Formats: sequence, structure tokens, C-alpha cells
Amino acid sequence: MSIRNKYLVYVFSSLTLLWLLVVVIRSVSIENKHFYVPGILFGEEVKFNRDIRPIINQKCIACHGGVKKSGQFSLLFEEEALAVNESGKRAIVPGSTRQSELIQRIKHHDPEQRMPLEGEPLTDEEIRLFTDWINQGAPWQDHWAYRPPQPQEVPEFGKTWDSNGIDHFIYKKLSENGIQPNPESDRYSLLRRVSFDLTGLPPTLEEAEEFIKDTSSNSYEKVVDRLLDAPAFGEQWASMWMDLARYADSKGYEADRPRNIWKYRDWLIEAFNDNMPYDEFVTEQLAGDLLPDPTEKQLIATGFHRNTMNNDEGGTDNEEFRIAALIDRVNTTWSVLQGTTMECVQCHSHPYDPIRHEDYYRSMAFFNQTADADIPSESPVLVEFKDTVDIEKLSQLKSWVGERVKDPALKSEMQDYFEKLVRITTPKIHPHYFEQLDKGIPVKGTSLFKVTDSIPSRTRLLPFDGEDRVMFKIRSDTSVGVLEFRLDHPEGEKIAMWEVKRKTRTEYDEEEKKDKIYSVPEVISIPISPQTGKKDLYLVLKEVGQAGTTLNLEWVMLHHSLPGREDDQYQEAEKLLYDLFNSENEQETTPIMVELDENYRRQTRVFEKGSWMVLGDTVAPGLPEKWNEFKDGYENNRLGLSKWLFSPDNPLTARVAVNRFWEQLFGRGLVFTMEDFGSQGFDPSHPELLDWLALRFVNEQNWDIKELLKEMVMSSAYRQSSHFREDLKDLDPYNEYLARGPRLRLKAEQVRDQALAVSGLLSRKMLGPSVMPEQPEGIWQVVYSGTEWKTSQGEDRYRRALYTFWRRTSPYPSIIAFDAPSREFCLPRRIDTNTPLQALVTLNDPVYLDAALALSRKVLESSSKHWEDRLSLMYSMLMLRGIPVDKMEDLAILYKKTDLYFEQNPDAVCQIAGEEDRELAVYTVMANALMNLDEFLMKS
Amino acid sequence: MNVFEEYQMRTLQSSTRRHFLKKLTTGLGGIALGSMLGCQTRSDAQLPEGLEELYTQLPHFAPKAKRIIYLHMAGAPSQLELFDYKPELKKLNGQDCPPSLLEGKKFAFIQGIPKMLGPQADFKSRGQSGMMVSDHLPHFASIVDEVTLVKTMHTDEFNHAPAQLLLQTGSPRLGRPSMGSWVTYGLGSENDNLPGFMVLVSGGKTPDAGKSVWGSGFLPSVYQGVQCRSEGDPVLYVSNPDGMDGQLRRQTIDAINSINEKEYMEFGDPETLTRISQYEMAFNMQTSVPEIMDIKDEPEYIHEMYGTEPGKTSFANNCLLARRLVEKGVRFVQLFDWGWDMHGVSENESLDVGLEKKCRLVDRPMTALVKDLKQRGLLEETLVVWGGEFGRTPMQENRGGREWPFKGRDHHTEAFPVWMAGGGVKGGFTYGETDEIGYYGIKDKVHVHDLQATILKLMGMDHEKFTYFAQGRDFRLTDVSGKVIEKVIA
Repeated sequence: MSIRNKYLVYVFSSLTLLWLLVVVIRSVSIENKHFYVPGILFGEEVKFNRDIRPIINQKCIACHGGVKKSGQFSLLFEEEALAVNESGKRAIVPGSTRQSELIQRIKHHDPEQRMPLEGEPLTDEEIRLFTDWINQGAPWQDHWAYRPPQPQEVPEFGKTWDSNGIDHFIYKKLSENGIQPNPESDRYSLLRRVSFDLTGLPPTLEEAEEFIKDTSSNSYEKVVDRLLDAPAFGEQWASMWMDLARYADSKGYEADRPRNIWKYRDWLIEAFNDNMPYDEFVTEQLAGDLLPDPTEKQLIATGFHRNTMNNDEGGTDNEEFRIAALIDRVNTTWSVLQGTTMECVQCHSHPYDPIRHEDYYRSMAFFNQTADADIPSESPVLVEFKDTVDIEKLSQLKSWVGERVKDPALKSEMQDYFEKLVRITTPKIHPHYFEQLDKGIPVKGTSLFKVTDSIPSRTRLLPFDGEDRVMFKIRSDTSVGVLEFRLDHPEGEKIAMWEVKRKTRTEYDEEEKKDKIYSVPEVISIPISPQTGKKDLYLVLKEVGQAGTTLNLEWVMLHHSLPGREDDQYQEAEKLLYDLFNSENEQETTPIMVELDENYRRQTRVFEKGSWMVLGDTVAPGLPEKWNEFKDGYENNRLGLSKWLFSPDNPLTARVAVNRFWEQLFGRGLVFTMEDFGSQGFDPSHPELLDWLALRFVNEQNWDIKELLKEMVMSSAYRQSSHFREDLKDLDPYNEYLARGPRLRLKAEQVRDQALAVSGLLSRKMLGPSVMPEQPEGIWQVVYSGTEWKTSQGEDRYRRALYTFWRRTSPYPSIIAFDAPSREFCLPRRIDTNTPLQALVTLNDPVYLDAALALSRKVLESSSKHWEDRLSLMYSMLMLRGIPVDKMEDLAILYKKTDLYFEQNPDAVCQIAGEEDRELAVYTVMANALMNLDEFLMKS
Repeated sequence: MNVFEEYQMRTLQSSTRRHFLKKLTTGLGGIALGSMLGCQTRSDAQLPEGLEELYTQLPHFAPKAKRIIYLHMAGAPSQLELFDYKPELKKLNGQDCPPSLLEGKKFAFIQGIPKMLGPQADFKSRGQSGMMVSDHLPHFASIVDEVTLVKTMHTDEFNHAPAQLLLQTGSPRLGRPSMGSWVTYGLGSENDNLPGFMVLVSGGKTPDAGKSVWGSGFLPSVYQGVQCRSEGDPVLYVSNPDGMDGQLRRQTIDAINSINEKEYMEFGDPETLTRISQYEMAFNMQTSVPEIMDIKDEPEYIHEMYGTEPGKTSFANNCLLARRLVEKGVRFVQLFDWGWDMHGVSENESLDVGLEKKCRLVDRPMTALVKDLKQRGLLEETLVVWGGEFGRTPMQENRGGREWPFKGRDHHTEAFPVWMAGGGVKGGFTYGETDEIGYYGIKDKVHVHDLQATILKLMGMDHEKFTYFAQGRDFRLTDVSGKVIEKVIA
């Protein structure tokens, strides 16, 4: 045997041995053998998220997940997957396929044993993936979205198509797929696109001309800066956020009565205009009241979660609907800020994502300590006195307190206490915390509770420490009797009493032609003998004789008395307090969040299977363990929650935010399912870009929203023309790779605002109470509600759509037709539809006719005299570009036919134009047609 | 973003993610389906791949009914005066309610211990089937042999708004699609010129739960019910502005569509093509809607039969309109009639006066509707459903713990009636029994979700398979329960 042969044999035997070794090692069943053996022996690396999770989600999780755990086996959490299950075996034993029951069962020949049961067996490839994965030690990976964003290298490339870092990521993906991007859009389209995207309004003709003329290299950037600074910017982005905040001017449910919360809408507009950083923007909305010395604006910001619905229907259980609102707050918070479908966990653990049933209630515990309840008054509200008399009285009251509290440390604290007492008035004990003892049977109060000589009412375990007065809002139908406040029993210790006095209002009755006297409610405060600890409080009515007095109470609360009792003017000071509480002068009230005092805290308990009637374990505030840690330093309240959200380790806050802003500009999020970043949502189209943008937003841009938006609209990706391409029809029908710019229908608000803007009707008045532009008769026919649609006058008829009064059960019809949600709940993503009802709105809604008429007046006033010039001008005023010849031909035909029509139907002229001006009528019809063009309703 | 992508998302569960994404990027044009599904003939529409899948699944069963007319008596009529004959209750009239009926119960207004209230109407045996029906419904008595009466409906909600939502959307909370939206989403419309789901309201008010009872929830808005109004435009903005006639409108739409075609040539956006077809349909609706809403041309005997008066807002007019709409192939017609909440706090809200008045307004037209559908051969394929959102207590209401001059009953969740006719249900058939005082169902109880499951089955759909993926999971009309009541199906 030659050396060469010997060598060959040597090599051959070594290879054979090695092969044998691999085979042996791969089949040897030793747990954790992957610790000792190099991974290369177990084949190509199997990645859990890429290879295994999709199989699990599709074929296993329905039975072995958060809802069902068949055989006590679940694949939702690593520790569950590796645990011993019902059979006493482990389904997955890392390193050992033989011991892994999972492998045995997916390969089983007996259909009664084989998994998935009653389903198609796994393919050979899927079985191989599972086998290799277990051999490699069954390494678990969390879903991408639960790991913090990773720093990304900006891909290099030498093309000129790179305005900024965004383009590098986009181009990389395009070139990987062999696609070239579109060229930059024409300047007219680009200007219109960016103007709508940043301000929600079209550019003016002058702005367009200026931009076209500006040949400087940074002309586009100048436009972007101008738009970012425009007041309309705040309105545009507030409108977007109002869907998330489910902002409405009514309470929802049956009577759907009005709610005064427009100051929150104004706060949004101002916050966007002032470019409040995103972290502050969210923190103030979630927990503005918990910030140190919150400003009035920070309190208003908490209106975010006071936009939940309130059920005023008679006989509804106030606690049930408080809880409905609470649940909405939890779901909205998770959806808007974390892109997580937390609502799935209300009844059971999450079927697909690593969130446990208890986690829902731990989240809820953050929100469960606010003073609001499902009551008609919507307390707590922040009162703003409008009348100078009241404003003066409040300032006198504060001076009184300031002068009498000597300790400088306490001084402002006490002034603050009394200002809040007057302007917010918490913690009130509402009627549903009272039991009316009717023949001994306790009946909970509803919107009121009553006390009569035979029916005392009580509330349980009221914390008396430190309080020396009781205040209540009461209505009495006589002035006979004494209302006594007693402890622990209807005949218990008497701590206060009030001689019943009926407060009345006299009104002239038109029908009966005489004055009528009505009982009205009054706020009374009386001293109590100080108590310690928690005691039951009984309200008992005595000494009524034959009068049959009935007292109806709206709330009761304990509070501190004013300082300076020894002062001669003390009674006058108390009168100030009384006057402020009973003032009938104009005041503005806004619902806000107020945290309950330590003494009034609620317990949060798990609702078994999601039913609020079936209570489980008590839980403390907390968050799912897969996310970042809830650190010791965080407060156990909404403020702590906000700190947790904005911790650098939080995997989702920044990603969800940049994705949302991206979607508003590009029409499709990098994660398409903006509301679901979980394992059932879409994976990001550009994961590296998403992480890069997220980290940049946090670390380099310091949550600066305008800077983020600027970076996006400055990118070449955004600036591309939006022409569809035949070559991409099959390859990229939804423009996921971004080889073209976005072409999208204008949002509901923009459709209306544009028509008003181009015709010159749009009022640029900002902020203030919502308005009621013209709407068809008979839209508001809501039960038990006398609220009327009173058409606004003057410029308020033509305000931007976001100021339109939004009634949840009967939203403004033309806005709803264009896919705005009813705002009953948070809707993270509007679905664009294309329906005949939309066509009917822009063709026939009187607002669009007004706009057409106004536009044609503008055209007729211009220097153009020839009909073709006029039509061409009208087209340019709408589309901000010159009219193509072929479109002009169509317009010319219509023009001639319309002219003929009005010649033959002279009566129609005045009906359309409002005056005997045939030309005006003709052009109005032309404007109406032009305002219905696809190119007008879309942004290209 | 269009409906198609929404649909695609739902198929996630039947394909792996990667396979799915591959599918998404191959062969799917950006076709706006919203319009197609809501408002176009299915057989004519060219369906894109993928949606075929949904349709090859549907129907799950051979459908018995093609169309539905749902007559919802908002406020909840009293079963004890109309359909549930309880002689025992008469004997108990005026006695204290036994505490066993009050324990652990929540009522909207009853406080303390109320008195029992005997039936405030007389009953007679009617038709071949001998169904006991109140004298308040003399016309209805003549069609009992066409009708299945379910006496043992029960619900979870004792307030109007949540109970109406539960009945119409399957959930007491706002935000879910209504039954009509589901059905139209699944089956589309049979008419090019009319929406698939139309709503008619009488009694002067929209239902307590507002327009959400015909909302589309998370389904695309194209599936929401389109309200036909009896005053002003029958459908909002369907009339041309004063001074513009149909011909001029036609010409403007021709110009719009012609320019839009050029726009399409330039940008190639398929949405533009959809817009062109939607403007065509809008134009067609401008003619077809007013035509169908104008009942003047109906023959005198029809007006006599229904008790209709052209130009008036009434339940009778709405019944006749419902027939006209289903005749034209509208899939789901929803009627709401407000004012059935007889608490006894005023004359019009009382069992002694108000109820009889309401009955007089609905008895003739609802009977005429069934008869008219039958004589036109439409009843077989049209399911008519009548009922409220809950029932009423056998006790007299004592709101505020006091006595009231009129007789009334409080809201009651445990037993209430629904009747159905046509569309594959039995005639002259009574399902379910209640106890001696009509308080509880004691045999064959039917939950609201069971009724929904049954209606879907009659339309050819399996309520457990007919789902929509939203907010991270599959939703269905019947939430997580519902059992088809096979016995009522003929």
C-alpha cells in the first residue's frame, strides 16, 4: 500500500468516524449535550423566531397557548414549554430528541397520538427544524418586539439617491429585490403632498408659485420648515391624536349628552405646535396630575383618559360603567403606546403573546385609583370661573388663607388646598357609595341618593382623620326637619346637624301663566366634631312632623375648615367659600384625572374570565415580565407607569411612536399592524430602519416630534413620485418596499378643509368650544336628550373640521362617510374605503356647493376673461398645476353643455348661484365637478 | 390599505407567516373591495384571488333565507300583554312579590318590594295552531300559522342601550359590527344600485344605543347600515342641489369620470378605477333610492293593507318600504320603532293606554308585511324577525318606591318573546315555555346569541366559522357562545 493510499484510507476512515460520531452524537440522548458538543455538528443554526415560532403559532398555539393548555402543555413561555406536563414527561428536553415528547408526538404513526391532533401532520421539513432545534439546545428567542431596539449600522451605498439615513435602509431593500426607486416627484405634487401631511391643508397658489420660483438648493427644506412652524401643524396632528384619544364632545351611550372637554383638544393643538417632546407629551396625558405642582395645562392634559364614555341612562350600575371606562383606559394605553392587544388578556392569558391574565389587572391597578366615576356630573372637573366676581372671590379666599397661615412652608400648601377644594372638589362620596335603608333593605344610590324620615342612608368606612367639616350637595322639597350625621348606626354618636332649608328658584311658566317655584340643589358645609380612623357615616332625617320631607343628595365630602376661626370676619370668609360653590355665573368645566387620596384607595382584583362580578386575587400595579423591569424608583401609579414607558429599556414605546408617524406620512407603517406588534401582527418591512429610527428618536432627537417628521419628509423615499409601475404590480402591490411615493386619499377632515380652503371660505380661527356647521335636519334624534344642533353663525360655519362638534351616537355625517371613526373607542388605524356615499357628499352636501360657489366668484373676479382661461385658472387653484390638454377637452365639453343647460333653464340659475348670474351658475357647476376629481381627493 | 389586506390578515391562521407574506406579494392587485362587497352583485363581480376563498367557504350550509327584515321594537314590549298568556298572574294581581324573585336581582327602577301585576290584556286562541295571542294584536292573529313564536328569549343586559347592542351586535359594549353588517359582509348585496344593508327608523327617535346598532364596528365602513330617512333626503345627500337636474348631473359625472380615466392613465392607481365605478353607482342611487322610497304609486289596496300614508313617517310606511327594498335585493333591512318602554310613568308609557296605542300602530303593518311578502312569493326566502331587546317584569313598577297613576312594568332579562316568519322557519309553532308568571323560561331557553346563531344558519352561515380578524383575534357575531335552535327550522 502506497503512502498515498494509506493516506486516503486514513482520511476516509477519519471522515467515516467523524460521520459516525455526528450520527451518534445527534442521536444520543443526553440532555444538554449541546453544552459539550460544538453546534456545527447539529446542522445549520435554527432560529426560533424565524423557523420555529411560525410553526408553533400556526399549528400548536391554539391548543397549547394562553387560552387552552391541553395536557397542561403550553408553548407561550419558555419555562412552560420546558416544564413537566400532565403526562409527567417533558415535551421539550434541550439536546435530547428522544426524551422530547414533542418530537415523538409529531412523528407518531397513531393518529390518536400524533400532533397536531385531527390536523395535517407537520411536513418533513418542519419536523427536521424541530429536531435540529432541540439538538441545538432548544434556544428560545423572545418575539422581536419584546427585545429593545438594537443599534444599526447605516448601510453604505454610493448612489445619489440618499437625502438622509432613511434612504440607505430603503435603498438596500430595494436593491436586494432588484428594484429602482421612482424619480423625485414633480414640485407641484410634492408641495401639495407635504403641505397636507404636515398641516392638513393645501398650499395656496402663491405658496406654490414661490416654491417653483425658488431655485436654491434648499428650497424644499425651507418649505418643510415653514410648514412645521405653521399653526395649522398642531391642528393636523391633533386630529390624528384625537382618534387615539377617542375625543368626542359627548359622553356616549343612550342619551349621549354633551361633554365639555374641548380644552383637552386645544391642549393637543398647542402641544404639537410648541413641539412638546413625545415623552412629556405622553406623560402629561397619562399622569399630568401626578407631576410635582401640576400646572393647569398639565391637569387639562389628563383629559386624554377622561374621553372614555359615561353612561347616564337611568338605572345603570355606576360601578359597572366606571369599570368599562377603566378597561378602556387600559386597552387604549396598551394599544396606543405599546402596540399591544392587551384586551385579549381580559378574560384569559394571551393566546399568542407572553402576557398573563393577571398582567391585565396589574396594568389596571395603575388606573384604578382615580376619583372619577360613572356619574352625570363627570366629577372631578377643573372649574374655570369666567365671571370677574367669582375670580375676585377666589383670590380673596386665597389671600385670607395666606394671611392666616403663619408657617411659610404651609402657606402655599394651604392656599393650594383651598383652591383645589373650590375648583376640583375631591374626594366626593358619590351616591352609589351610599346605601338607602328602605325598611332595612339597603338600596344603592344612583345619580342621587335620598334621605327621608323613614329611610336613612349610610356610607361605609369613611376616613375621618384630619377633617373637621362635612360638605354636601342637597335638594330639599320642604324646609322642615333636621338632617343629622351619625356614626356607625342610625342612632349612633351625632357629629353634625343641619336644619333643613329648601332652596328655590322661581320661574314664570308660559303655559300656566304664573310663577312656579322649583327646589334647587345647594352646596352646604357644616362643622363636625373631629374623629379618628374610619367609621360608617349615617345620614338621618328627624323632626319632619307631617311634612314628609325628602332630601336628595348628589355627593358628600369631608374637608378642612378655613383657618382663622378666631377672626371677626370668619363668617365672611366662609361666605366666600359658600358663594363660590353655589355660583350660578358662567364657568368652564373640564373633566380631569385626579388620584384618590391614600385613605380612599380601591383594591384592584382580577376579574375571573373577565367578569367584573366574579372577583379573584388582589393585585398590585405591575407589568408583564417580558418587558423592561418596573424599577424600584418608579412610583406605583400612573406617573411610574409613564417612567417605565420611557425607560431606555422599553422595547416598544419608541418603535410604536416612530411607526405611527411614519404611517401618517407613507400611508403604511413599517409595521403594517400599528395596533399589534405582537406575534400575530405583521413583522416590520424594514426592521433595521425601524430600530434605527426608534433609537435616533430617543437618543439623538430627544423625542423631538418635529425633528423626526422633518427627517422623514426630507428623505428621498418620501419625495419620490407616486406613479404606479407595471413592473411592481406583482412584485410590490402595496408599496411595501417604497419604490414609489405614497398616493393616498385625503383624510375625512382634509377633504372638507381643502374644499373650504381653496374657495377662500375656511376660517383660520383656532381653538375654543366646538362648532356646529350646517348639517341636514333630523340627524340628531337621540332619546332622552333635548340637546339640539344649533347651526353656528358667521365664520364658525367654516372652521376646520377638527372643531366640529363630535357626537358619538350621531357623528357629523360627511366626516363619517369618509371613514372617520365614531370615537366610541380608540381606533389606531383608519381604513380607507371608496364608496358611493362619499361621492354623494362631495357632489351634493351644501358645504361643497358653498365652496364651489365661492370658488367660482374668485375665478370670475380675476383678470381672466376668456372661458378657457377661467377654467384653466380654476383648475390651477384646485390642483396647483396647469391643466393638461386632454383634461381641458373634457372640461370644455361640460362647460358648453352646462352653459346650454342654464340658457334653457333660466330658473335654475338663481337656484344654483343665489342670484341672476348665469356665468356664476355655470362656473359653480364646473367647480363642483372639479372638486370631485380623483386628483383633488387624493394626494399624489 | 384596503379591505383586501384586512381579509388577508385574517388568513394568517391558515398559512405560515412566510408563506402568507409570499402570497401577499404575488398576484394581488390593489383592488378596493369595499365597494364590491357592499354594493355589487356577487355573481357579476370579478373577485380577486383570496376573496374567492371566503366565498368558497360561504355559504356553510344551503341557505333557507336570502334576505332579512328585522323589526326591532326599541324599548322592549311587554310579553305579558302580547304573547305570553299567564292566567296565574291574574290571580296574584296586587299581592306582594315573593322575596325569592327579588333576591340577587338587579332592576332598573324597581325598589323595595313591588306588587305583582296581572295581565293588562285579554288573550284568545288563534289560527289552526291555537297560539294564544293578545287582543291588542287582532291583525297578527290572522298570521299565527306563518309564525314561529319563541317565548323564552333571555339576555344579559337590563338597560336599553347595552341590551340593544347585545341583540344587534352580539356585545353589550359599543364597537362591534351589527348583524346587518356581518350579513352584508358575508353575502354582499344583490343590487348594483342600492346598499346591501338599509335602516328605517320610526317613533321619532333613534334607538337608545344610537346609530351603533347599525354600525360596522371594526368591519370597513362600507358595511354599515345606510339609514333611509323619511324627511329630507331619503339617503343623505342623494338629491342634487336645487337647480341641477338629473341630466346635468349625468353630464358632470361623465366629465368627472372621463378626467379620472386620464388620471388613471397617468398614475395607474387602481383606486381611481374604483372611484369611477363608485360615481356611477352614486348616480344610479340618485335615481333608484328616491324611486324606491316613494310609495305613492303603490295601489290603494296595498295602502289599505298596511295602513300607509305617503309622505308620513310611520312604522307602516317603513314596513312597506322594507318590502320594496327586499324586492330589489337589499340583503338586510332593519326597522327600529321607538316607544315601547312602558314603565307606567305617564299615559304614553303605560300598559293601560300607551301599549295599546303602540300596538295599533304596528299590528296592521307588520301583519300586512308578512302577507304581502307571501302573496309575492318572497316570504319563503325572506326572514322576518320581530322583537324587543328584553322583556318586562310580572311585577308592577314602583319607581322611586311610590305608586304611580298608570300601570307599568320594569325591564326584565329572563323571558321575552321574539317571533319569526318566512325564511325557513316553521309556521304556527311555539318554542319554549315560561313559568306560571312569565318570569323565567323553564323549557328550551334561547339566549340572544342563540337567536343570532339561528339567523346566521338560516342565511347559510355557521356562526362559529364566520369570523373576522381584528384587534389581534378572530371575532364573530355570537362572541364565544350561541347554539342554533334547530327545532324552529322547518
